[in-house]
Amino acid sequence: MRPSFRPLLLVLAFAGATVLSGCATPPTDPDALAEFKETNDPLEPMNRVFYNVNNALDVVILRPIALGYRAALPQPVQTGVHNVLTNLGTPVVFGNDVLQGKPQLAAETMARLLINSTLGVGGIFDVADRMGVPAHDSDFGMTLAVWGLPDGVFLFLPVLGPTNPRDTVGFGVDTVADPLGWLGQGDTVNALQWSRTGLGAVDARVRVLDDLDKIQAQALDPYATIRSLSRQHRRGQVDDRRNSPAFRPAPK
Amino acid sequence: MLTRRILLLATTALPLAAPARAQGDAATALVQKLGQELVAVVNGPGGAADKQTALEKIIDRDVDVAGVARFCLGRFWRTATPDQQRDYLPLFRKVLIKNITSKVGEYKGVSMTVGRAQPKEDEVAVSSTVIRPNNAPNRVDWIVATAGGAPKVVDVVAEGTSLRLTQRSDYSAYLSQNNGSVQALIDAMRRQASQPG
Repeated sequence: MRPSFRPLLLVLAFAGATVLSGCATPPTDPDALAEFKETNDPLEPMNRVFYNVNNALDVVILRPIALGYRAALPQPVQTGVHNVLTNLGTPVVFGNDVLQGKPQLAAETMARLLINSTLGVGGIFDVADRMGVPAHDSDFGMTLAVWGLPDGVFLFLPVLGPTNPRDTVGFGVDTVADPLGWLGQGDTVNALQWSRTGLGAVDARVRVLDDLDKIQAQALDPYATIRSLSRQHRRGQVDDRRNSPAFRPAPK
Repeated sequence: MLTRRILLLATTALPLAAPARAQGDAATALVQKLGQELVAVVNGPGGAADKQTALEKIIDRDVDVAGVARFCLGRFWRTATPDQQRDYLPLFRKVLIKNITSKVGEYKGVSMTVGRAQPKEDEVAVSSTVIRPNNAPNRVDWIVATAGGAPKVVDVVAEGTSLRLTQRSDYSAYLSQNNGSVQALIDAMRRQASQPG
């Protein structure tokens, strides 16, 4: 066996062992079993490990950065950054609107991209929102859901946080399909792309700062609470999108 | 002949629709009044202690706290001893009020508009929009049940997430991690209730 394959095999073996040892044993009591099936988190031990690692890193790295960002930057600047990041994400939103068969939403997304990039000075000002065309989310996980794919088991992954197999695949597809990821090469482009990723992470973290702090302070089991909240929220999002009419503005 | 029969059927069908409408109206009226009072307390003058007292009165009157408490314990309510059940209910109320009061600060300047009522199984969901300054408007549904007379709120669904379902998941997971010991849950809740602020 050539030496270059060994590290890959080791990683795969480690991953396999982690997943197998991270499986929960289903309970025997019928009520408990029914609840276990409804919770649909057979990988709970592994998920909890990832959650704890994520949490530890968050406490030490991302949360302090988010706190500093929120304290140092005036609100209009934070809003401007968020608007620019949202604007940069519109190609992916547009693509998914089309794939979901929502022409009205797709038209809104296109309008937002054009208006905010021009009148909104490179996306800094959300002019389109003030004109009655608000932003909406659209990702490939949602597209798969609209096409009929159920979410599947609960996953808590490093970086991605609470998710599921369908949405993880969706994230991967969106990342690869993002046209901004393919524009040019070189150090400047790389630096800009990493800045966008980093700012996106901080911006997202700031938006949930108070809610997450509340959960940590008030929940007896923050992991289970986050699992319940994220799953309910995602399913609500998906239901709304499935039920939204193709040719009239959909509620967010 | 046929038209008379149809008219007869129609008139007997009407009273069946009326109670459902009346329930929806009662629920909407409750949420409207509740919303106005909550907004008044949150935006009004007074310190944290005064606001907590005012909120307690509103919650005790308009929320089915005991019902929600039993729901949140789920299947473990049956495994709890009468003593534990007796300890759990007031503790749940205390933690609930504490959690609600802790949110008052971040809701300063809030406004709320009540929308339509929709029947949901044997409960009524009254939609509303809650607007906090510097935040996007949030969709909040108030689930109202009419168990035994007066309508009371049994759940709040904020942007698709149900508070009682989330709380039940939290307690259920904690109990599973503690061998189903309701006493462990009660002790943890007691620690929560006695924490400052």
